[in-house]
Amino acid sequence: MTVVPRIFRALWNRFKKSRESPVEFSQIFDRFQGVLQNHQRVMELIADLGEKCGGEYIFDRKYLVDVVKELHSLLLHMVQELNFISSNKYLALYHTLDRIISQLEAELRGRLSFDQNTPFALTLEDAPLDRPELIGGKANVLAIISRNLKLPIPPNGLVITTRAYRLFLEVNDLEDRIYSLLESWATGERDEYSTSRQIRYHILAGIIPKEISKEIEQWTGGKGSRKRWAVRSSAYGEDGELSFAGIHESVLNVPSRDVPYAYKRVLASLYSPEALVYRQRMNMLSEEAAMAVIIQEMVHSKVSGVIHTVDISEENPDHLVVYASWGLGRTVVEGRDLVDIFVVEKAPPYNIVQKEIAVKTTSVKPTNAGGEKEEMLPQEERGASTLSDEDIIQLTKWALTLERYFKYPQEIEWAIDQGGQYVILQSRRLLIPKRRDQPGEDITTLCDQYPILFKEVGTVVHSGVGSGVVVKVASGSDMEHFPEGGVLVTKYTAPWLARIVPKASAIIAERGSAAGHFATIAREFRVPTLVGVEGAVENLQDGQVITVDARSRIIYAGRVKELLAYELIQPFPFEGMPEFRLIRRLFRRIAPLHLIDPSSPDFTPEGCQSVHDVVRFIHEKAVEELMDLPGLLQRSSGVHVYTLQSEIPLGLKVLNLGGGIDPKFIDTGKLKPKDIRSVPFRAFWSGLSGPGIWSTEPVLVDFKGIMSSLTRTPSETSGITSSAEFNLAVINQTYMNLHLRLGYHFNLIDTKVEPDSHHNYIYFRFVGGVTDNIRRSRRAKLLEAILSRYHFKVDVKGDLVVARVLHLSEEDMIQRLQMLGRLVGFTRQLDIQLQADEDITNFVGIFMSLNTPTEEGTQWKDH
Amino acid sequence: MERPLKILILDDEPIVCKRLQPALEKLGYEVESFTDSVEATRRIQETSYDIVITDLKMKEIDGMRFLEEVKSRHPKTEVIVITGFATMETAKQSFRKGVFDFIAKPFKLGELQEVVNRAAAKILGESES
Repeated sequence: MTVVPRIFRALWNRFKKSRESPVEFSQIFDRFQGVLQNHQRVMELIADLGEKCGGEYIFDRKYLVDVVKELHSLLLHMVQELNFISSNKYLALYHTLDRIISQLEAELRGRLSFDQNTPFALTLEDAPLDRPELIGGKANVLAIISRNLKLPIPPNGLVITTRAYRLFLEVNDLEDRIYSLLESWATGERDEYSTSRQIRYHILAGIIPKEISKEIEQWTGGKGSRKRWAVRSSAYGEDGELSFAGIHESVLNVPSRDVPYAYKRVLASLYSPEALVYRQRMNMLSEEAAMAVIIQEMVHSKVSGVIHTVDISEENPDHLVVYASWGLGRTVVEGRDLVDIFVVEKAPPYNIVQKEIAVKTTSVKPTNAGGEKEEMLPQEERGASTLSDEDIIQLTKWALTLERYFKYPQEIEWAIDQGGQYVILQSRRLLIPKRRDQPGEDITTLCDQYPILFKEVGTVVHSGVGSGVVVKVASGSDMEHFPEGGVLVTKYTAPWLARIVPKASAIIAERGSAAGHFATIAREFRVPTLVGVEGAVENLQDGQVITVDARSRIIYAGRVKELLAYELIQPFPFEGMPEFRLIRRLFRRIAPLHLIDPSSPDFTPEGCQSVHDVVRFIHEKAVEELMDLPGLLQRSSGVHVYTLQSEIPLGLKVLNLGGGIDPKFIDTGKLKPKDIRSVPFRAFWSGLSGPGIWSTEPVLVDFKGIMSSLTRTPSETSGITSSAEFNLAVINQTYMNLHLRLGYHFNLIDTKVEPDSHHNYIYFRFVGGVTDNIRRSRRAKLLEAILSRYHFKVDVKGDLVVARVLHLSEEDMIQRLQMLGRLVGFTRQLDIQLQADEDITNFVGIFMSLNTPTEEGTQWKDH
Repeated sequence: MERPLKILILDDEPIVCKRLQPALEKLGYEVESFTDSVEATRRIQETSYDIVITDLKMKEIDGMRFLEEVKSRHPKTEVIVITGFATMETAKQSFRKGVFDFIAKPFKLGELQEVVNRAAAKILGESES
């Protein structure tokens, strides 16, 4: 009976001892600094990686391998540092790290890796738009067409994912078999025909796992259903990044009962001889092959056809060509019969410059038993035009939307159903044969006739060329009227602009970096984007037509037709190259931030999905550990802190890490604000000590008592709060970590301000209060409103406010720190006064009037 | 420009060739690119180039040897080295061998175009004088 308590006591004592052993403050702070520096480096690598996605850089595989290696080692250090600071509270992070790094390594080897909850099937309505490796290229394009571009696609689409394909292989024990067959093809033991035959035979003979057949049956209604389906290939890489045109099989007009077999036929077509050779030619690894399958309701088309958004035969990028025939699409796609041809100008009013109405003899029709058959056309349809002028113009407009969105010429399959409704069946990159006979000519001399408005300015966020009318956006209300194809011109690349990025043909911003959230979105939508174009807002006029060459960093007045055409027919869009496919796959596992709210139940090592999540988690937890920094400091010995002598009774202690204090200062125990050299501290202090901030107008008499207790620091009012709590600034020349307890508010500001804006950030955290929850959350809302005006990214949870701003110039950072100084002074008393929601607006107004008007004064965060 | 300057690119990473070739053609140069150093070596034995752009570390052949070969055959050819294994030592060594400029990978397309234009200006300046 006594044994167990004794063991417990022994353990407890050991535990207590380890907790109480004097903490080497300097070591802890070293590690904390380590976390911050490594965090910084990781964010830089993420930013670099983002930049490389934009097309301006030339990089190779080695670069990607090196980045992953460096991320791995940085994260490992951060995990060690956090565990040192927190006495091994976060050992689970080692496992997280293994999980995330092994996924990155799998990507580098070209292998698809899925986690346990990846679905086997998804509807096109719900499928994520950023995971082409899961739903395949064609499904990804269709989902984008339907959801981002709002164009009609065939109804009721379900995607059986590439994860289902993997399961199919696994259950039927096919992975090794396929691999060894491919090996014997690679070594020349067998040819592609016999390799293909063998693999396809195994797939067609395979059993569809229950997880998948259940999904198919539920969707199609099984044997009892009378619906007909189109079962279409959506291979990994197909349509989205590589073309694969016509290489895989699609099975049309399939009765519900036959969908499972059609599914297997489509899977097997991944190993058709053509597909094998194509992948080999495109340098795709065998592991990169994976097939998702789309099951859509069949469109019984009256007319169908193909559009090329560039006239290949004439090489005329100003014309597009519509090919059309009666019935299903095979007639055009497989060239079975003569078809109608319409050549259309690509600029309004879309003149039809050529009509060739063919004498057509056959059409492909669906049969009652399933499948298709070719039929002779009735006499009256043979010479008739398949399309009216209205049809042609409607299809032209859609084709142009697709071309603008996907940024290179498109080959679009479309249909008009029996009821006269148009649908887009698919859209893929149109390959334009490169003409060898044309010597290279300097395109920039061709553009010389156009006036240049800006030359070699700014930083490329996404390369490419775009043209349209200038639309300046400074506030949320400006966004409502942003036209399709406009050129967005803005002062800052604030995240709230994201909504109009898909509509823009190009983007120009005066400030911002190639690294931020906004840059990622611009790249995702492949909008040519330049940032850092000083004077753009002033010098460009609303409504003016311009052409932005984000490749050569030139902005022209007018529409530079030659350049737009040149860009469109470039033979190698960089996005299609294997390294770009790889960098984007890596980027998706590295850059997105899922862990936003520290109080969410997912804010755990297990909840981390990306590299960004891991560093976010570590940073947050390290800061949390350091919340008790003053307490930590008091418990440790040998650290010299100064007490700041000032009219503002903060009782602020200052710890200098080097360079933060004037070297001429002689320690007389009286450190004055003027002795401090730390750039961020000086900025903050000048705001806090500015006129009218600390000693504001007389506060309501009723609150006087409360106010006096608020201005007193807790260390002076011993007994009220723990003596471990006092105000502390840890500084060096360019860094400040400030802990402020003003009454019951707790403020943390962690910031770095240097001439090189890449390293600059402000992290601001505000929590607590003396009044009820409602008032406290009002204060949080007030802070959010004010901080958003200064382009902070603000997250509010109850009364916790976390705000961040990154990569602004030294001058912009200083301005914001001054504002934070004023804000801290201004808000220390506020929650007492915030009696109603309306007060929020009033106080925002008062605060903004305290600040000298800034150019961003009119900007609001978009809600 | 009377005759376009001739450029040879050698890099065993296809992406580098595929991206550089059109970017330089766009500026009016005549460009040939190789991912295979043996083939490239054969080519420089047959014909001369105004500018050669080469990686330093490749599978079959040491880039340093390739650039020696280029320089010994056609001393006037300007060589631009691009490499992902940039060290001070390799940079110094390449300059000693008369390399025009040295660029570390990854680099901006614009940076390389600028270096090529400078090399071209030098070549044209010399041929005029």
